[in-house]
Amino acid sequence: MAGAASLRQIAFYGKGGIGKSTTSQNTLAAMSHYFGKNIMIVGCDPKADSTRLILHEKAQDTILSLAAEMGTIEDVEMEQARLWGKGLFDRETPGGWINCTESGGPEPGVGCAGRGVITAINFLEEEGAYDEEGLDFVSYDVLGDVVCGGFAMPIREGKAQEIYIVMSGEMMAMYAANNISKGILKYANTGGVRLAGLICNARMTDKEYDLALELAQRIGTQLIHFVPRNNIVQHAELRRMTVVEYSPYSDQAREYKELARKIVYNDMKIIPTPISMDDLEDLLLAFGLEDEVDESQVGKAAEA
Amino acid sequence: MFVLGFHFPASMGNQIPDELVAEKIAGVDISGVKEIKLLMGTKDKDKEWLSYTNNSTFLFRAMVHYFKEENPDNLQKYMIYMNRYQMSAISKRVDAADDETMKLCHNLDSMEQFRIELA
Repeated sequence: MAGAASLRQIAFYGKGGIGKSTTSQNTLAAMSHYFGKNIMIVGCDPKADSTRLILHEKAQDTILSLAAEMGTIEDVEMEQARLWGKGLFDRETPGGWINCTESGGPEPGVGCAGRGVITAINFLEEEGAYDEEGLDFVSYDVLGDVVCGGFAMPIREGKAQEIYIVMSGEMMAMYAANNISKGILKYANTGGVRLAGLICNARMTDKEYDLALELAQRIGTQLIHFVPRNNIVQHAELRRMTVVEYSPYSDQAREYKELARKIVYNDMKIIPTPISMDDLEDLLLAFGLEDEVDESQVGKAAEA
Repeated sequence: MFVLGFHFPASMGNQIPDELVAEKIAGVDISGVKEIKLLMGTKDKDKEWLSYTNNSTFLFRAMVHYFKEENPDNLQKYMIYMNRYQMSAISKRVDAADDETMKLCHNLDSMEQFRIELA
């Protein structure tokens, strides 16, 4: 594996629609702006929305789309596939920089999106992207769950060493977080991947903090940060910006700064202990988010 | 592991004893602080001032520490959600006998935003 010994390769995983790309870009922006870290983002989502807030663009050309356009991956140039961040994140701007790539994916319903991830990472390695002078972090933003082996590729191949799971206090987000932990466990001994923490991207539901904290403790990790919901995130997104750049002294920018600080100094990287589906349901019952159901009522419609 | 913003080495596990967190804030100077004022509420909604004066508690000391950290001009300060949830969780264990503190913890556990000032 190319790259400096001090290079940290992290990944953000989580259920689709949980706010992974928004959380990852805002956090990475804070790591770069407030802590001077130099970062390469490898978007591993066919939506190719992992870099738009850093680039102030709708979506950059993906490595797979460039390969399709040029004929083969060998014809793709690094300058086409890897773009420098805009504004605060440009390499000419004081402080840290961020550069951006997107793996892309096949047309909906055709092929394997995981292959796009593999192709993209191999391309970036061969082109020396991991050897960039001063690079501190590589961050993979990975779609959804690891039920598909393709999306587990950054874990399977030993690329991403520290996994941050973005979740909320909703059942399916917690289910996905637990499932991703199972994927990490599966490859922990062969590839050295570790779970580095849960990030609760809050929906502001009842007892959400307590629930997220309990899940984190049950699977052996930490709730590294609770990110509150704030409309300023959407306002910034409309301008295709991170909150850190749109409103650097806002309350929400302070939240991302604190999460960034914790990731920069985090040393808790563990092999997770996922819980069973029954235990997960018990957890939701214990926190009052689900009402206990009389078994005799299962499958019966509500009374008029 | 991070509690109240303090880093505890990974070797200490994912559940840090309350006494170790209390040790971190033991040295904070609370002399001259008569009251902690908290502005509860979000920008677009009604806001409410809360007053807290019991300076013998963990919660009082933790809040004074939070306010003073990286705040040389003593300006009103936004409270990071995670920090205040952690303050409340510990306070509910170690300050449980104090009704005023428990009432404030109940507020801190909400989804509202908080800003802190010292008087």
